[in-house]
Amino acid sequence: MTLIRVTLPYLYASIAIIAVWQAVVTFTSAHVAILPPPALAAQTFIELVISGEIFTHIRASLSRVIAAWGLSALIAVPLGLAMGRWRRFENIVDPVVELFRPISPLAWIPLAILWFGISETGKIFIIFVATFFPILLNTVSGVKGVDKVLIRAGQVLGCEDEWSLFRKVILPASMPTIIVGFRIAFGTGWAAIIAAELVAAQSGLGYLIADGMEILRSDLVMVGMAVIGVLGVLIDSVFRIISKHYDWGT
Amino acid sequence: MMAEAPQTKAISIKQLAMTFESIEGEKVEALHPVDLEIPAGQFVALVGPSGCGKSTILNILAGFLTPTEGQAMVGGEPIKKPSIDRGVVFQDYALFPWLNIIDNVAFGLERMGVGKKERNEIAAEYLSTVGLQDFARKKPSELSGGMKQRAAIARVFATDPSIILMDEPFGALDALTRRLLQHQLLEIWQKHKKTIIFVTHSVQEAVYLADRVLVMTARPGQIKLDNPVDLPYPREFTTKGFRDHEKLIYDVLDAELAKTFDLESKGRSSD
Repeated sequence: MTLIRVTLPYLYASIAIIAVWQAVVTFTSAHVAILPPPALAAQTFIELVISGEIFTHIRASLSRVIAAWGLSALIAVPLGLAMGRWRRFENIVDPVVELFRPISPLAWIPLAILWFGISETGKIFIIFVATFFPILLNTVSGVKGVDKVLIRAGQVLGCEDEWSLFRKVILPASMPTIIVGFRIAFGTGWAAIIAAELVAAQSGLGYLIADGMEILRSDLVMVGMAVIGVLGVLIDSVFRIISKHYDWGT
Repeated sequence: MMAEAPQTKAISIKQLAMTFESIEGEKVEALHPVDLEIPAGQFVALVGPSGCGKSTILNILAGFLTPTEGQAMVGGEPIKKPSIDRGVVFQDYALFPWLNIIDNVAFGLERMGVGKKERNEIAAEYLSTVGLQDFARKKPSELSGGMKQRAAIARVFATDPSIILMDEPFGALDALTRRLLQHQLLEIWQKHKKTIIFVTHSVQEAVYLADRVLVMTARPGQIKLDNPVDLPYPREFTTKGFRDHEKLIYDVLDAELAKTFDLESKGRSSD
């Protein structure tokens, strides 16, 4: 029942988008190469499903994002914990972070090619740039937001050294905020697959879109966009379920 | 572990003083040098207006603050940092929201290295002492304020500390819940005979609970009255003895209040 209640708004939204799309096609009599009708895109999608090609693209994109996102988490969480806990360390690291943060993942494409060539590493590097900062910033604010009284309670309940205080109080207390960072980062990483797969990819949803543009198959472009959108919502809802587990309702 | 006699220690404070520096660099004397001897097992209430230094004394005893002068000792040992041997009950409960109630109560026991089975037994025992046995698996957010504070009291007694510091623990509770908790606290204290330092705004609460009431005054914070309360437990608010103690304390507080008002009105007229 809840599944229906949750998915229904997305179903309505999809119908509305397709209706507007169809209306634009009908009223502007757009050329099929400029704006294909929904029916054509649907047909292309079904063909890609039957041939299995779409799954290859999804798997390629998803594994890149997961690899980059996991790498970001491994580096950004410990760094963020240290920055949130030690003011002096934050004062040194934060300016560096702030200087790099405004640089879009797109801007890293040339360097990614120069450094890593057209290998998988270059693509993962670009998504890494997109996922790193949301995790880092949320971890820092999570640690800083830990109620001081909980830290004191930990200290008088046997967490007498910094490490046990971290493990037993600070980390669990900042977990909900860190999870939000994971969720936002997966979103930004997923959105960055286009940028990543512009770097000489042979597969992936970004490749599907770039390739569709080159061979003037806008139906392929539309399918790629739609799949990115729908999968993005699905992944985000998985994160929502996980974060509910950490929502202790304070 | 439960078979051993509960431990308790004396507190000795010598020329303890605390001066804070404000943002403008101005020195604020939060605590005028204080001498204080508290024998093991005594229930001491600290009453006084905001800013009189009662929380400062408590935070120094807990090890959260380092005094600028003098020394505080527990059981003959100087206090250097927070320790599980000196339990604290906070005004806003400070339960760990990600743990259920029994895991909160067992938290300190786990840190002490008590095995899972044994610590759950001890935690369950203290939960039933405060009447929360049916809420062991609930999260703190599912409990009312009074129940949270009862869980916090169970948590502090479970680790068997030598002294227990309570910082306005019932300040945020309604009058009836407050009465229930005062009653339960006295029951546990009479059973375990811990040294308790209890900070409160309420003169009535201080006289009801403590066998010694220290009245503190502000600017600078110092102890103005050291009043032993020799009334037998359980105490009644309405008896003459009770009223006499209240009056004695209010007289000191009122005199100080008058001085403060005087200072403030003078300060205003000279503007």
